[in-house]
Amino acid sequence: MGLFDKLVGWLGLKKEVNVLCLGLDNSGKTTIINKLKPSNAQVQDIVPTIGFNIEKFKTSSLSFTVFDMSGQGRYRNLWEHYYKEGQAIIFVIDSADKLRMVVAKEELDTLLNHPDIKHRRIPILFFANKMDVRDALSSVKVSQLLCLDYIKDKPWHICATDALKGEGLQEGVDWLQGTTTDVHDSESVEHRD
Amino acid sequence: MTSMESGGDGGKWLDAHYDPVAGLYTFSSCVDLADLSGDGENRLVVGDLGTGSSGMKLKVYRGTALMSENTLLDLPAGLVAFFMDLHEPRIPTTAVASGPCIYLYKNLRPYFKFTLPSLEVNTLEQDVWQQAREGQIDPLTLKEMLESIRKKADVPLSVRSLRFLSLETDGLDEFVQLHKQQPIRRQTVITCIDTLKKSTADEDGVSCLVVGTESSDVFILDSKAFIILSKMSLPAPPTMMDVTGQFDVEFRITVACRNGNIYILRRESDKPKYCVELPSHPVGLVRVGKNVLVGCTDESLQGFTQKGKKLWKIVLPAPITTMAPMDLPTRGFQGVLVGLANCEVHLYRDKNLLSTIKTPDVVTSICFGRYGREDGTLIMTTKGGGLMVKILKRTVVFDDRDSAPGPPLAQSIRLNVPKKTKLYVDQTLRERESGVAMHRAFQMDLSRVRLAAAKAYVKALESSLTPMSASLSEPLKMNAVVQGLGPSFKLTLHVQNTAACRPVMNLAISFLYDENLYRIRDPYMRIPLLVPGLIYPVGTFVDCTNDKGITDIIKVFVLHEGRSSPLLTAHINMPVSEGLALS
Ligand SMILES: Nc1nc2c(ncn2[C@@H]2O[C@H](COP(=O)(O)OP(=O)(O)OP(=O)(O)O)[C@@H](O)[C@H]2O)c(=O)[nH]1
Ligand SMILES: [Mg+2]
Repeated sequence: MGLFDKLVGWLGLKKEVNVLCLGLDNSGKTTIINKLKPSNAQVQDIVPTIGFNIEKFKTSSLSFTVFDMSGQGRYRNLWEHYYKEGQAIIFVIDSADKLRMVVAKEELDTLLNHPDIKHRRIPILFFANKMDVRDALSSVKVSQLLCLDYIKDKPWHICATDALKGEGLQEGVDWLQGTTTDVHDSESVEHRD
Repeated sequence: MTSMESGGDGGKWLDAHYDPVAGLYTFSSCVDLADLSGDGENRLVVGDLGTGSSGMKLKVYRGTALMSENTLLDLPAGLVAFFMDLHEPRIPTTAVASGPCIYLYKNLRPYFKFTLPSLEVNTLEQDVWQQAREGQIDPLTLKEMLESIRKKADVPLSVRSLRFLSLETDGLDEFVQLHKQQPIRRQTVITCIDTLKKSTADEDGVSCLVVGTESSDVFILDSKAFIILSKMSLPAPPTMMDVTGQFDVEFRITVACRNGNIYILRRESDKPKYCVELPSHPVGLVRVGKNVLVGCTDESLQGFTQKGKKLWKIVLPAPITTMAPMDLPTRGFQGVLVGLANCEVHLYRDKNLLSTIKTPDVVTSICFGRYGREDGTLIMTTKGGGLMVKILKRTVVFDDRDSAPGPPLAQSIRLNVPKKTKLYVDQTLRERESGVAMHRAFQMDLSRVRLAAAKAYVKALESSLTPMSASLSEPLKMNAVVQGLGPSFKLTLHVQNTAACRPVMNLAISFLYDENLYRIRDPYMRIPLLVPGLIYPVGTFVDCTNDKGITDIIKVFVLHEGRSSPLLTAHINMPVSEGLALS
């Protein structure tokens, strides 16, 4: 973290970061975002998202604005309209849905090849969610099936999560905070050139 | 799990799962998809035929895993999942038809068994068994009597008598002892099963069951009380069935029968309303929209209207193994999937081939629909017992002329044809009215042209205007000039070799003429080697020997040594001799 960021942190002026939360329907996106919000703002009932929702949560130095997109097939074509604004991506996978792992991979590949994403060093945080389900795949297996090792030009990170209990979420958000700060620094360095 | 792209179909499908040793042996009629637990996630329900004599099971899959198994007592003929009541939570019931019974499963547990009413028994048959029971006749006599009943009777024998007739002599006694106390019953068996919505078209509306039987009947069963709501008769046992509509409103049952015909039953009548006679036996029957698609043993797929009018027929590259509809309401897509013996599955919309899926083994069952949470899932089982799941890509658009053989794309492009003018219309009218006269006039003119051409040709030949050799090896050209007033004329022949580079050798010239009229000084002349392109003059003198002013033609031949037919001939019209010959 740069001195400037520490300064704004002390002043309570946090840097705004737009995050896109993507992934197939029923993967647990809304549940995860809900868990990241302050406990007094959390809702009890989570229903399948229609279109998208905008949520906000804060970490020590950043203020995140999350676009919680619907993962249903008929809404997935909405995702790309928000790629330009997104400064980071959270991609959620249902580790217990082995059958649709190919569909998740297909959507991820489409995302990575989109002109608004392809040439940007946008950080991607993967949540291999529902690790509590009995025969869920491990995060290693998920990253293998999604061929994450092939992503060379973007910072990425995967963690196994249980959104119902909130396990593993903090690790991911910490990574995101660190990387987002880094990327912004390096991007501003590039601008100076 | 494999995650490679599937080849051969332009990457339209994602390979979600393939287990080549799943041990699933089944047909399309025994596979269905339903939300059996009411949690929004569809399960795959399969009636597994096992080895055909053992290991029959009702299997339920969730995602890639087998979730439950129930042993079946008999071979399943068909399986359907449907709503039999309106109780909450809305959980569908699975009906498995086997033998004369329908077994119902709810929450994956056996729940109810329904048996079709037994058929009328032949009274003569009953009498002879009665006599056998009382010991009045011995098994051999019983066999003879049953044999004669079998031949004559209009009510067929029971399965027991038929089995008895097929026994060897030494087994007869034992069989009679074992069975004689039981009453004779004649049972039909179910050949096909489907569902029919009772009164609403809703996805989760209550349905009736429709069963086809070996006794050539179709029954509609109320699923609440299990009473027969309707019975319809067919000329032959049904083998495949498609049902549409609602029982209380209007419905239509399309049945393929074992006599190779397709019958269409309607609500009003208990007899078929329409009949389609097929040239070969049907092996698959699927309704797509309002049309009925039939796959036949002659490797063809045919489309019919719902009134049985034939629309089209296409020839497939291999025999059909199975067929299933592909309905994707969210994208408004309807098509048919056809499994072929050459390890391919073809997707057709009407008669257009949209996608070809290559499979590692021959596919024996196909089911398309919502599986898990994915709407466009294609489930196939193979001859070797494999289970394959593919998911249609979200972004796929089916182009009608994708890879369809048939008329080229250009054919359907509209040409920018200008508007019809008055002149054009008048002309067309005239052509229509006096077509015959116009044709005659044309033929007349054509003949005239031909005559004129022939005349000109003859004239050219007669005046020996630059005759040419037709031979390809010695292309020659010659013209003749006659000089003088007579009686002596100088005849000069200009010979040219028109070949590109080959010289011509061993040529000679000779003449044919009336010796009473003319005398030629050198009637036979040798021609020197002809260099291509140069014109060689060859001259001689012709004397006219008569003084009566008669003229004739002199024929000139260019000959090749050793060959009798001339290479070139020319006719020279000799001019009239002005003077007298000196004798
Ligand atoms: N067992 C388990 N269930 C979870 C977990 N995370 C979410 N779920 C459940 O999964 C279901 C779907 O969660 P949602 O958060 O609505 O999923 P979503 O990704 O937002 O779905 P869409 O809005 O339709 O795209 C809910 O019933 C959650 O309770 C998890 O970590 N473990
Ligand atoms: Mg959601």
